[in-house]
Amino acid sequence: MSTQLPASISEETVRTISEERDEPDWLLQTRLEALSALDELEMPSVIETPGRRWTNLEGLDYESIVDPLDQRDETERVSAEGAEVLDFETALDEHPELLEEHFGSVTDPQTNYLTALSTALFTTGTVIYVPEGVDAEDVKVRAEMNSTSLFSHTLVVAEDNASATILERISNGSAVDGDRYFSNLVEIVTGENAYVQYGSLQDLDEDVYDFTLKRGDANRYATIDWIEGNIGSRLTRSDIETELNGDSSETKIVGAFFGHDDQHFDINARVWHNGEHTTADLVTRGVLDDEARSVYEGVQDVGRDAWDTSSYQRENTLMLSDESEADASPKLIIHNHDTEASHSATVGQVDAEDLFYMTSRSIPETTARNMLVEGFFVPVLEEVEVDELREDIDELIVERLD
Amino acid sequence: MATLELKDLQAEVADTGEEILRGVDLEVKNGEIHALMGPNGSGKSTTAKVIAGHPAYEVTGGSVTLTLSEADVEDIDADIDEEDLSWELLDLEPNERAALGIFLGFQYPAEIEGVTMVNFLRQALNAKLDEREELFEDEDDEEAEAEDDAGYDTSPMEGPADDGDVGVAEFQQLLKEKMELLDMDEKFAERYLNAGFSGGEKKQNEVLQAAILEPSIAVLDEIDSGLDIDRLQDVSKGINALRDEQDTGILQITHYQRILDYVEPDHVHVMIDGKIAKSGGAELAEELEDKGYDWVREEVYEAA
Ligand SMILES: Nc1ncnc2c1ncn2[C@@H]1O[C@H](COP(=O)(O)OP(=O)(O)OP(=O)(O)O)[C@@H](O)[C@H]1O
Ligand SMILES: [Mg+2]
Repeated sequence: MSTQLPASISEETVRTISEERDEPDWLLQTRLEALSALDELEMPSVIETPGRRWTNLEGLDYESIVDPLDQRDETERVSAEGAEVLDFETALDEHPELLEEHFGSVTDPQTNYLTALSTALFTTGTVIYVPEGVDAEDVKVRAEMNSTSLFSHTLVVAEDNASATILERISNGSAVDGDRYFSNLVEIVTGENAYVQYGSLQDLDEDVYDFTLKRGDANRYATIDWIEGNIGSRLTRSDIETELNGDSSETKIVGAFFGHDDQHFDINARVWHNGEHTTADLVTRGVLDDEARSVYEGVQDVGRDAWDTSSYQRENTLMLSDESEADASPKLIIHNHDTEASHSATVGQVDAEDLFYMTSRSIPETTARNMLVEGFFVPVLEEVEVDELREDIDELIVERLD
Repeated sequence: MATLELKDLQAEVADTGEEILRGVDLEVKNGEIHALMGPNGSGKSTTAKVIAGHPAYEVTGGSVTLTLSEADVEDIDADIDEEDLSWELLDLEPNERAALGIFLGFQYPAEIEGVTMVNFLRQALNAKLDEREELFEDEDDEEAEAEDDAGYDTSPMEGPADDGDVGVAEFQQLLKEKMELLDMDEKFAERYLNAGFSGGEKKQNEVLQAAILEPSIAVLDEIDSGLDIDRLQDVSKGINALRDEQDTGILQITHYQRILDYVEPDHVHVMIDGKIAKSGGAELAEELEDKGYDWVREEVYEAA
């Protein structure tokens, strides 16, 4: 591994974090194992095109942006009847077995360098527990990052026939200046016929480096839908993933991003079709202005035993300036040919004929362009079930257009 | 009395320099109905788009002027002088031309996902009213107002935050009336602009938009193509209403006599190779239907 472990991180640091929270031994051990694996682990793989590696995760100065013993956040949690929405420490007290069983069960803490770092150092997070048959609507987690670095871990457990719609909003609170680092791991565990929509809106300050990996395990007849909105940050690396392990399970991975200035978004959506009769729909729409860059990778992996698979993927990037850059790589890997699948990616500009149509009806060009951009995001917005999330995303888009 | 006048209008494709319009002369006054006919590729749509200000074409000569009368600017509060009544459209942006009263009904209307009809049209109507204020504003007031250049603050999903001159309720009533006139289903109002509309529905929608924007001069490009007979009658009714109720001047591009039975033209023009080759009354259209365009071409080339 080429990345040097920041001097501020040692076994001592990890023990301190764990002890301060009075954590059970299994969690301390998991953290320590993740820590010692750092030497071996690689950074997440990123898209490379001839002569170019799109996202330089190795190049980040972790030494200056990671300060593990000074992590502060202000997080508001809104629960729904019958469900429990707890901060991580409280959840450890109240549901020790649940956490021991599921923590790290969906995303291996040692998936890569950044997941291991996150597991070793996280100090905040949320556990959303939706017992069997409970319908938890509009669960909300609004997190504010108030320190140079913050590591968070969220676990959603939806039991058989449970359902939940969740909003997660990440932003910055009291101003800390300079480069910062935010890391956010989310795991979703589902029972049979469970439904979870996890909608996330990242609106961090534009000098925050942001890493997130969200992964769900869909059981028989379960559905996991993701909404991933990225507006803020200096650089975001986002991986949204569903394993369709149960027969007849489904997933949607819906993404929206809008970059400006010199923001960089590295957006990834992946689905593994492992069970039979599974369905996936991956839809990402992004807009880039100024010198913003985006790179998208979408993977639909159809396993050997995944009979009767339906899998669709579309990615569209709209460029508002000549200086912006985008690369997209939709991948379809088929090991079972009983599959109906499609995948496509486009990178383009606002359609000149559309613009002329609108201006010829009296609408000024800038207004017309803005209406088209906002309309471009509508297919994403229409998927969002939590009203507040849809309104917030829309509001930030409109704000950015002004 | 509004008059649109094309004088020796010449235009080429901006990208390639290909010459398309080679000196078009045409005059349309409000209240008049003109039919513009001609073979495929002769430059009819290009004429329409150049009038409206399409950026794909570069005008290389001639002029497009719009002359208004006091009656056309009754809605304006500011003092109107002679200068305010005469406009060289080629100097204006497409939205400014539209605000002055030019409407282009497209041969192939754009499909726009994510923007509902009702929001688009209300936005357009309010933009037109705003732009008119600005165009006719006295010079002195202009600078003061340049600051608050109307920003965009509506959402296609939730409707506008800022109400504009025409509020939501008022607009919905207006839209409803116009849709009834055209026998259009109300549900179209909430659909995305032309998205998934049939060919006929798109054309009907073009006429609906004209009815709402109340232009002085409407250029309708093959508004009759792809319409079944019922819809042709609805659309014709809409066009006649524009003329009869708003005194709109109509320049109707068509290949067929069919619509001219319902929308009777005062003048018929034949365009060939980027020029008006022949003009006449309604009977010219019938003659064309019988004899095709070749005889016009022959006549022109013989004369030349
Ligand atoms: N944007 C463009 N780029 C290249 N060529 C163009 C463009 N617009 C028009 N032309 C060409 O100019 C000529 C005139 O086109 P135009 O669309 O004006 O014809 P038209 O009279 O409307 O024909 P139709 O009856 O088929 O609608 C055609 O040869 C066409 O291919
Ligand atoms: Mg044409």
